[in-house]
Amino acid sequence: MTAMAAERYTGASIKRSEDPRILTGTGRYVDDIKLPGMLHAAFVRSPMAHARVLSVDVSAARELPGVVAAFTGAELEAMTVPGPDALMALMGWAGPTPQFTLLATDKVRFAGDPVAVVIAETRYLAEDGCELVEVEYDDLPPVTDASFALDPGSPPLFANLGDNIARTHSRHEFGEVSATFASADRVSGFHIDVHRHQNVPMEGRGCVASYDADHGVMTMYAATQSVHVTKIAVAMRLGMEHDKVRVLAGDIGGSFGLKIGASREELAAAAASRAVGRPVKWVEDRGENLSASGQAREESFDVRAAVSNDGDLLGLDVKMVIDTGSYPGMGAMVPDIMEAMLPGPYKLAAMGFESTAVTTNKACYVAYRGPWASETFVRERVLDLIAKDLSLDPLEIRLRNVAPRTDPLAVMITGRPLVGVTSRESLERVAQLVDFPAFRRRQAEARAHGRYLGIGVATFIEAAPGPRTPEAGSGPMGNESMRLRLEEDGIVALFTGQMPHGQSHQTTLAQIAADEFGVPFEQVRIVIGDSDVVPFGLTGGSRSATMTGGVTLHGARQLKAKVLDFAAHLMEASAQDLLITDGNVWVRGDPASAITVSEVARRAAAGPFGADVDAKLEVEATYDGGEGGWSGGTHCAIVEVDVETGIVKVERYVAAEDCGALINPAVVEGQIRGGIAQGIGAVLLERSAYAEDGSFQSATFMDYLMPTACDVPRIEIEHLQTVPLDADVNFRGVGEGGMIVAPPTVVNAIEDALSPFGVRIYEQHVPPARILELIAAGDSGV
Amino acid sequence: MVDITLRINGATRTGSAEARKTLADFLRDDLNLTGTHVGCEHGVCGACTVIVDGRAVRSCLMLAVQAAGHEVTTIEGLAPDGGLGPLQQAMWDSHSFQCGFCTPGFVMQATALLSDHPNADEQQIREALSGNICRCTGYQSIIDGVLLAAQRNRQGANREG
Amino acid sequence: MKLPPVEYEAPTTVADAIDLLTEYLDEASVLAGGQSLIPLLALRLARPAVLVDVNGVDELSGVSTTDGWVAIGAMTREYVAEKSGTVADAVPLLAVALPLIGHEAIRSRGTIGGSLAHADPAAELPAVAMALDAEFVVRGPAGERVIPAAQWFEGYLTTSRRPDELLVEVRFPAARRGTGVSFQEVARRHGDFAIVGLATSLVLSGEVISDARLAFAGVSDVPVRAAAAEDLLVGERPSTELFDEAARRATEDLDPPGDLHGSSDYRKTVAAAVVRRGLRAAADSANHRARERQ
Repeated sequence: MTAMAAERYTGASIKRSEDPRILTGTGRYVDDIKLPGMLHAAFVRSPMAHARVLSVDVSAARELPGVVAAFTGAELEAMTVPGPDALMALMGWAGPTPQFTLLATDKVRFAGDPVAVVIAETRYLAEDGCELVEVEYDDLPPVTDASFALDPGSPPLFANLGDNIARTHSRHEFGEVSATFASADRVSGFHIDVHRHQNVPMEGRGCVASYDADHGVMTMYAATQSVHVTKIAVAMRLGMEHDKVRVLAGDIGGSFGLKIGASREELAAAAASRAVGRPVKWVEDRGENLSASGQAREESFDVRAAVSNDGDLLGLDVKMVIDTGSYPGMGAMVPDIMEAMLPGPYKLAAMGFESTAVTTNKACYVAYRGPWASETFVRERVLDLIAKDLSLDPLEIRLRNVAPRTDPLAVMITGRPLVGVTSRESLERVAQLVDFPAFRRRQAEARAHGRYLGIGVATFIEAAPGPRTPEAGSGPMGNESMRLRLEEDGIVALFTGQMPHGQSHQTTLAQIAADEFGVPFEQVRIVIGDSDVVPFGLTGGSRSATMTGGVTLHGARQLKAKVLDFAAHLMEASAQDLLITDGNVWVRGDPASAITVSEVARRAAAGPFGADVDAKLEVEATYDGGEGGWSGGTHCAIVEVDVETGIVKVERYVAAEDCGALINPAVVEGQIRGGIAQGIGAVLLERSAYAEDGSFQSATFMDYLMPTACDVPRIEIEHLQTVPLDADVNFRGVGEGGMIVAPPTVVNAIEDALSPFGVRIYEQHVPPARILELIAAGDSGV
Repeated sequence: MVDITLRINGATRTGSAEARKTLADFLRDDLNLTGTHVGCEHGVCGACTVIVDGRAVRSCLMLAVQAAGHEVTTIEGLAPDGGLGPLQQAMWDSHSFQCGFCTPGFVMQATALLSDHPNADEQQIREALSGNICRCTGYQSIIDGVLLAAQRNRQGANREG
Repeated sequence: MKLPPVEYEAPTTVADAIDLLTEYLDEASVLAGGQSLIPLLALRLARPAVLVDVNGVDELSGVSTTDGWVAIGAMTREYVAEKSGTVADAVPLLAVALPLIGHEAIRSRGTIGGSLAHADPAAELPAVAMALDAEFVVRGPAGERVIPAAQWFEGYLTTSRRPDELLVEVRFPAARRGTGVSFQEVARRHGDFAIVGLATSLVLSGEVISDARLAFAGVSDVPVRAAAAEDLLVGERPSTELFDEAARRATEDLDPPGDLHGSSDYRKTVAAAVVRRGLRAAADSANHRARERQ
């Protein structure tokens, strides 16, 4: 009986509850919000990358009809409480903390750094007002590349840090590094660069801040991945008690890691609202989103690989430099995760890792879908480079090196057990789906006709959420909480801190709850987006499938048990003889006994009951992730490179993926395809470009090129299913995987296409001009 | 300020706006039709696409005053009483979208495409939609939705014929 | 990115439009399709004092033929020209270039005259106009002038239209029998501006090229005729060797601009490929059109 009910929704591509409003334009995004008396904010932004601010004069702006207020950075400091970045504080950051003001006061540190804010009746007028603000700058030498940032002679961005080293991640060694390298048949060295690119959700950052002076309450309508983290950020900066800040979020137009906490601009808008006593809306435009919201992935790696002549990858030794831009974001925290993940699913005997994070006069480094992804890029590129050196097939070298599923479990050299990892199976599945020998014949035939096709594979794993560890459940990214309540009208309401922005939680969580509780899908409601109402939570890190799926499953069972205990009183039966199916509670074997769940709820709400009857049909559930687990897979791309123009076309893309049990296959596939599209974009099109003087060159969609429907092919997806580790919760996260593994997949294919030219690719961004340079520089003699 | 009277979704609406105000902003702010979204304000992303006099148009590249006296259809006007038209239904069935921000632009552009090319094949659909940017989906599910709508149109026509 | 304050006028006749331009001169921008101008305004890169919106000047639209020429009113929408049977028959080079302009929604509003008056050297229509020696009819307070394409494009986004003149019509010579055309471009994505593009029109008389017109987009601050290549081609039979040599001659003196999307060297290299491919496609098109007529 239970098994039948459990398979009804979970595992099926149930149509989304989100879609009726999405498809009719009746969703509610932050820019759709209008409040009485609402004003609009626009920011004056520095055109210089690095300069002292000598003076800021907002008086002319204040005189413009329609401008209600204008505040300098200094005035905003007086209205706010200085402090560390909220997200960094939450994540327990203990490293050096740069000191800076909410808006720039003494100096500006990147082109786009906000210096003043103008508040006006319309956004049009606010921008007009910004043009009237006069700022005097005194140029400073810009620090626009990591090598200058590393130079102690470079002018420090932050006076209190004294130099441009945001963090040194000291060297860690795992296994016997020196011995492994000394005894290896070959040691190869590579320098690999990953370029700066960024999240670019279709909706930028934004908020409507509304301060109610009568009650001292700040309401923030936000676009955020967590209403609670935003609330903490706002409360901290505005010096308010947490229970005086309420954050509301409705529909969010994507984020990919960008919208966490509160940005400096959002905090300024909140402070402005409090100062002027009217709601203030700030929604960034595309220029701001591209130049000022933050960027990611600018990392360079010096890699040494210890290899046997047969192709065993024995050891990796990596020195990394990460360009974290100006203001603190998550950049300095990324190396820790990279170090942990660098071995991937491979049997390394030894690994060394060290990194330096530098500050530069660029927008800050933010989390972008799989922030640690470069570890997969480096590793999967190195495997292909080694394979070429040894004349090995790229599939073969990976099959040789992936850790088998053994007992006892294979463990990553950096400590995490590879429990349930199916890398070998995904490689073999790709080999079945893509006829490699046939491709090689086609490739040879094409080359004879002057056409260059290539094939590439890459394998990855992702901690989604990762295997059970002793620390599991601790910290803000730890246990997942949920309140589940049977409402008076019979709706099963799930209150979650998850804040979906495309992940379809309103559908997927309802599927699980409907199955576990026993009501139709339509009888479950997911309640999100109100910090007064939902428990703490954050959507990110590919955690929700396991953590929120798990708390939903177990919470629904707990709620069901409670409801059955209550129903037992109503029905004068024993709780263990009661069932809930299709929204009805009934006595096993006696269908005529059925009463609706709605009726039970109504009766519980109506009361009264004796002290021995618990009619409060609500539970607070938490889930620690259970056994946890990995997601992963192998991707394969076939490309064609036009060697006269450098234009690359992705002809075919295959993903054999394993995210355990699928809650909703269509949702899973959508997440994977979207991530792959971003990976294709990164390699072929997208670059956040700074000139040497620090001016930003890709501030419009004419220069920051996004992949379109003509750039992303049909993507074939095969689902493997991890060996279940848990009796119930085997859903793994899948949100970040596509973006993590697609870049090396595509670059590996491009290098394969260009192998007749002796091309080796040591970078992630290969636009057409670069392809021609690589061909010209290639060593065709080899 | 200029008085602007135009036909929106079959009804005559009037507003008053500065000449510099775009049609996109006029729809959203003055007519409270927030279904049309603003994604770039320089005519590249297509999120603001509406239909003017039967043609798909980027509403961020039209001034509101230029729409005076013309027929405009927005996402809100595609199906009566907030229901779903056949294209929207096909997109729902195909799991076409995720965050939904690009959606109105895609739906309007696809509406224009199917009305001119009811039998559009995949390649034609990809090219016709290549001026609309989606960050979430990788496009395949959107194209499947349009293909399904076209297929259902043909089946419907066959049944009637 | 909101447009800056600007005055707005919407004349309904050419005469009224000219009066406004005469009054405002450099302070006025003509608003045609808006697909290029409105983004410039939104980015606050263009700051005219007044917009003269000519979308209401009905006499500026239309496609007609006279005496071996196709006259296209300046306000003719790109999508209208794209659907025009007259254009398809008589100005096939224009017909193959139009679908490459941006995306459908851009062509819903963009105009033939607007694109040519904006004169972006990376755009398709300026190269077409240069290749065909189109003629630009402007009208001002002193009357009408006809400006040949070679004198129309003066510099980056700059034409020889005087501030008190309005472009009213563009004339394209009707294609001769035996014409084959192509518009070849290398762009980062479908619908993007050309990194390098080439408008090619060949006339084959029998098996010999009797006329050759090649004009580049994206290699300079104006569209550029590849005169040396044209001279080579006339009188010859199409062949791979001929086209290779034409490509060499067309590109050896180019000094294209470099930008985020490609260095000068890259554009020069790609230009040669574009010439080879463009010539091959135009020759194929001539044969195809000849067969169609039989």
